[in-house]
Formats: sequence, C-alpha cells, structure tokens
Amino acid sequence: MKFLGKGLSCSSKEDALGELIYIKTVQDVIALFDNAQGKICFVQDAGTTTLGPILSDIEGVVCTTGGPGSHLAIVSREFDIPCIMAIDIKTDKLPQLHGKNVKIRTEDQDWGVLYLVD
Amino acid sequence: MKYIKSFSECDSNLNLLGGKGSNLVKLYKTKFNVPPGFILTTKAFKTFMKKSTYQKELEKYISKKIQPKEVLSISKNIQKMILDSEIPTDIEREIEYTYTKLKNNSHNSIRFAVRSSATIEDSDIASFAGQADTFLSRKTFQQILISIKKCWASLYSPHALLYLEQLKKMGKKISLDQIFMAVIVQKMIHSDISGVIFTTNVLNNNHDQMLINSVLGLGEGLANNIVIPDTIIIDKESCEIIRQIIGKKEKTVIPDLDNACTKAVPTDITSTNQLCISNNHIKKLHQIALDIEKKYKCPQDIEWAIKNDELYVLQTRPITTLK
Repeated sequence: MKFLGKGLSCSSKEDALGELIYIKTVQDVIALFDNAQGKICFVQDAGTTTLGPILSDIEGVVCTTGGPGSHLAIVSREFDIPCIMAIDIKTDKLPQLHGKNVKIRTEDQDWGVLYLVD
Repeated sequence: MKYIKSFSECDSNLNLLGGKGSNLVKLYKTKFNVPPGFILTTKAFKTFMKKSTYQKELEKYISKKIQPKEVLSISKNIQKMILDSEIPTDIEREIEYTYTKLKNNSHNSIRFAVRSSATIEDSDIASFAGQADTFLSRKTFQQILISIKKCWASLYSPHALLYLEQLKKMGKKISLDQIFMAVIVQKMIHSDISGVIFTTNVLNNNHDQMLINSVLGLGEGLANNIVIPDTIIIDKESCEIIRQIIGKKEKTVIPDLDNACTKAVPTDITSTNQLCISNNHIKKLHQIALDIEKKYKCPQDIEWAIKNDELYVLQTRPITTLK
C-alpha cells in the first residue's frame, strides 16, 4: 500500500476500503445514486452536505479542509462512516486517483491515513 | 404577536420554535450571551403554506413518498412554489414591526442572520446539520423577507429530502409532512474568531475531554469546510490543553457588507501558523461549555463567536453520535 496523505479521523475508526470517487459537483453525487456502495468519496472545500444523499451507502469520506466541527464530519458521524478531514495531500494528483482502490485507516488514535491499494 | 416570539417572552418549545430556536431561547433565559433577535414560529410557516396559491400542489408533493431519482425535480417544484407565494399580510406586518424595533435599538451598521430552525433540527433524533439554509449579513426589510422564504424553502432542498430518506434507512422514521420550519432573525456578530466546542471529545468519545475548533472570522468557514480550523483538546475538569493541532486557516470568512452575503479572503500569513484563540478565551469557553452541559444534562455541540473580547453563544445541540 502506498501512503497518500494524512488528516484527522473524525468519525468511525473502522478501516474502509473502496474505489475513490472525486466529487466536484452535485451532478457527481447524483451519478452515484444507484451505485454508491463500495465508494470512498473525496471532496475539496464546499463539498459539505451535497454528500448527504449517499452518505449511508458509501464506505468513507475524505475532505481536504474542515475539521471535527464541520457539518460534513458531524453528519458522517451520524451515519457512522469513516471520515478524514483536512487531509494533507497533493491536490494536483487527485484526478489521477479517481477510480483507484484506496483504504482509510485510523492510526495513532485519531489520525486518518489514506492509502493507495492498487 | 401571533406569529413572532422574542427570545425573552417565550419558553423553549420544539414544536413552535424548532430545534435551534428552542435551544436558543433556553440559552437566553439562562443568561448566556445570545445575540438579540426574534423567532418567526412554525405557526407562520403553517399559515403561509396553507394560504399559498399552490396549497393543493404543495400538500400533494409533501405527503408523497419520494423516490431518490425524483428528488431533484420535486425539490425544484416545491421550492419554486414557496418562493413564488406571497407572505400573508398579517405575518409580514409582524415581521416588519419586530425587525424595525430591533434595528432601531442597534447601531446603524447592524446586519442580520436569518437562520433555519426546523422541528427536527438540533434535536436528539438528528442534527440535520447544514441541511437547511442560513443567510448572513442581511440588512434591509426586503432582504429579510426573501431570506425567510428561502429558509422555508430550504426544508425541501434536495439534500434535506435525501437526508430524511437516509435517516429512514437507519430506522429513524420521520415523515416530511410532520416537519415544520421556524426562522430565527438575529443580530449578526461580525466575529473576530468563531468555532465550536464539543463537551465530549468526539474524535474518541472520551467524556473526560472537550474538543474545540476555532477559525478566524465567521463560523461559516468551519461549518462549510472552507477553512482548516485549529483543533484543541482540553481536559474537561482542569481545562489543561492535552493536545493542539494548528489548522492552516488560509482563508477568513467575513461579511460582505455591500452585497448582503459573506466572502472568504486570504488570511494574513502570520495568523496561519499559530492558534487563533488565546488561553483566556479557552478558559472562558470551557466554563460556558460546562454550564451549558449542566443545564441540558447531556453532552453538547456548541457554536460560539468572539467579538472585541466578548464571547457569544450562537447555538447548542445535543451530540447525537456518541457511543
């Protein structure tokens, strides 16, 4: 597994494995309506609640900004899915990661680490 | 007043004031420093919906079982009908009277926050966090009226409708026609620092710790993922800092006074690599958080703001996710 980035693990501490989907618009969320299972959604700033529609189906959430008190983290805890906030990752690599298998793992109590599994 | 309650004249009442409004009234009555304002009750919302020209169509949509794929079109239709409906004159007069009174009692530069308060919001069933809308930096009466209609309409936004569907999947059955929207109109604090304090550390469910998130400027920067906040974990009993993670805080959200909205501006570089909250403020927050938790008798998620060294409480809600 290759280390991709680290942020705060703000929800469930279970490992999550899934296909990384880079979410940019509400249309990307709608496209996942019927096939959200097995996906880990990656959002940048202002992604927030647009993930609400699919939160109970996806495996995990990763966000480049925010913290435990952001709405996205609060709602992720409600649906008990792993959620990394404020991940430190090179954002220019994100488009290449779309569709790759990744893993969220909580390490050292509450650091959330994203790994590339492929 | 038939449709409006000021914070001082009513008691906490979820069905009438919504979750956020009900909690704010309780905070106000317990002498916490809540910015002044009023609540347009769910009675106004129900009357508005009943008197709408589109009343029959609205009723049909709201009582219908919604399929996920229909959500976008249904939401669009409901929201358009709400925004196209007139607010009944007697409700509008009450809003104008109370708005003018609040405005005249304040400094000329006053701006208002128009905040949603659904009967499900901030309840112990669900947080509904961020599902309905808040409108900041509003000034004129017309801006307030439009924002109130937008708050009502936001109860039927695509993400709010789907959030409810998701809750159903988890066994929390809440029917759309049983949820009503009150609206809070409140003096807006142009805060120097804002954030949340959880009276239990939500990262590890440790009840002996509290967790603080803080950002420069308005709290919208934290709530809507615009900024990476500072995260500070303190000992619940002694207030000693156990751990601190300095957030980048590259942007600061401030009121945009010309355009009745907010904007994110770059943060001064020297402020991005240090905590934005002082030890004194942490101590004050810790004490207020202890007092609020004691009053509510369960762990709380509290939104706060600091302006010119004065600490305001903007909201409190139960933490719904502890194990």
